[in-house]
Amino acid sequence: MERAMPQAVPLGQMEVLQALQRLHMIIFSQNVSPCGKFLAAGNNYGQIAIFSLSASLSSEAKEESKKPMVTFQAHDGPVYSMVSTDRHLLSAGDGEVKAWLWAEILKKGCKELWRRQPPYRTSLEVPEINALLLVPKENSLILAGGDCQLHTMDLETGTFTRALWGHTDYIHCLALRERSPEVLSGGEDGAVRLWDLRTAKEVQTIEVYKHEECSRPHNGRWIGCLATDSDWMVCGGGPALTLWHLRSSTPTTIFPMRAPQKHVTFYQDLILSAGQGRCVNQWQLSGELKAQVPGSSPGLLSLSLNQQPAAPECKVLTAAGNSCRVDVFTNLGYRAFSLSF
Amino acid sequence: MGTVTDDEVIRKRLLIDGDGAGDDRRINLLVKSFIKWCNSGSQEEGYSQYQHMLSTLSQCEFSMGKTLLVYDMNLREMENYEKNYKKIECSIAGAHEKIAECKKQILQAKRIRKNRQEYDALAKVIQRHPDRHETLKELEALGKELEHLSHIKESVEDKLELRRKQFHVLLSTIHELQQTLENDEKLSEVEEAQETSMETDPKP
Repeated sequence: MERAMPQAVPLGQMEVLQALQRLHMIIFSQNVSPCGKFLAAGNNYGQIAIFSLSASLSSEAKEESKKPMVTFQAHDGPVYSMVSTDRHLLSAGDGEVKAWLWAEILKKGCKELWRRQPPYRTSLEVPEINALLLVPKENSLILAGGDCQLHTMDLETGTFTRALWGHTDYIHCLALRERSPEVLSGGEDGAVRLWDLRTAKEVQTIEVYKHEECSRPHNGRWIGCLATDSDWMVCGGGPALTLWHLRSSTPTTIFPMRAPQKHVTFYQDLILSAGQGRCVNQWQLSGELKAQVPGSSPGLLSLSLNQQPAAPECKVLTAAGNSCRVDVFTNLGYRAFSLSF
Repeated sequence: MGTVTDDEVIRKRLLIDGDGAGDDRRINLLVKSFIKWCNSGSQEEGYSQYQHMLSTLSQCEFSMGKTLLVYDMNLREMENYEKNYKKIECSIAGAHEKIAECKKQILQAKRIRKNRQEYDALAKVIQRHPDRHETLKELEALGKELEHLSHIKESVEDKLELRRKQFHVLLSTIHELQQTLENDEKLSEVEEAQETSMETDPKP
């Protein structure tokens, strides 16, 4: 994944520096607070900004409500992934995962609660953590990234319990299959691997690029995004965005999208996807494109649906990517407004 | 300047309208005319004043009656509005409930649609594979052929075995015959040798 180079600018030109920073900003990850009223966004400079969704959605919203309530430097490198438990915000970047308390996060000078680093094979390598996944049944966190392994960390004790091997290249994304507690991981090696958490073994491997219907060799074989619905799985990236039936490992529907998709999720009876290209695409399971709603960034990297039951008035879809703006869609049909760093 | 004109205005208004407006004024005039009538002298004046007072009184009663009716009407209008208001509130609440119901129905319908689409997707994949009956029939036919061919193979092998055994018997008899012939030849050679040695011996 890309790193941002700091601009060498003479002192006294702070505004120019800030404008350049905003121009080159990439927002990698977003996450909603457990109360549903705040949105955290992490960018490539390592900053996390907290936006107040309830303020910006209210009828008296002004320009200031679309700015972050607070921005702080969370990591030295980019913040690639974030998840929330019911009290903490966990953010991961280059090699470490840090935890922040949601209750304290709005105060100035917020410090992290703890930081941990999974055990890497050599102490020289500091691989990035591309994906975080919470497994609520066993209260643990799964980290995956540049060292091609999935590490499991128990949230109560902070110890790393398992390391799952199998991928031959770095891992992009994780998904949880709830009924049988299995984790799916997709990586640069083009394979989607299913791991059973109880036996810590690889249960199934789907090599997407080997199937002729969906492989696109000119894009590569990397799997950039995964989403699962227990029996079904959607994955995309280098190969075309495809819907798979997991039990029989067969590709059932191929979505005709040329641009590689970077984030996909199931929502009610639709599949939402976003990637290279301005739009958030809405697909029906039969493969038809229901709608394409343009956003404000030239490319999108993450989508977040606020479905927290505590704040039904803040039920929005937010999309962020290669710019300093987070688009807010109140109704899936159009972009309502954008929050900006 | 403002206060002066205010005073002027108040003065003028008091002069014109000193006894209050409308009904109030009538009642004040009635009281004044009653006092005048009590103090009046002649019979005719008193009578005319009396008539005048009666007419003013009836006018007052009439306007009071009118006001009471208007008051009643207002009360009833208020009730009517209250009723309408309550009805509208009820229908709003009903509409809210219907909206919630419909939302639930939409979710249900979306779930059904999703299931149908999943079914369709799987059905498409399954259709691509050939029918089970046909494959079973093909399997049966192939099985029968296999049996048939294995029968043929067995019978051919049996024939081969038989022939082999017969040849074996033939060859072994030939060998024996050969052996016996050789033995005979050897015997006859030995006999000949014995005969020649006997012939050479008795010569000296």
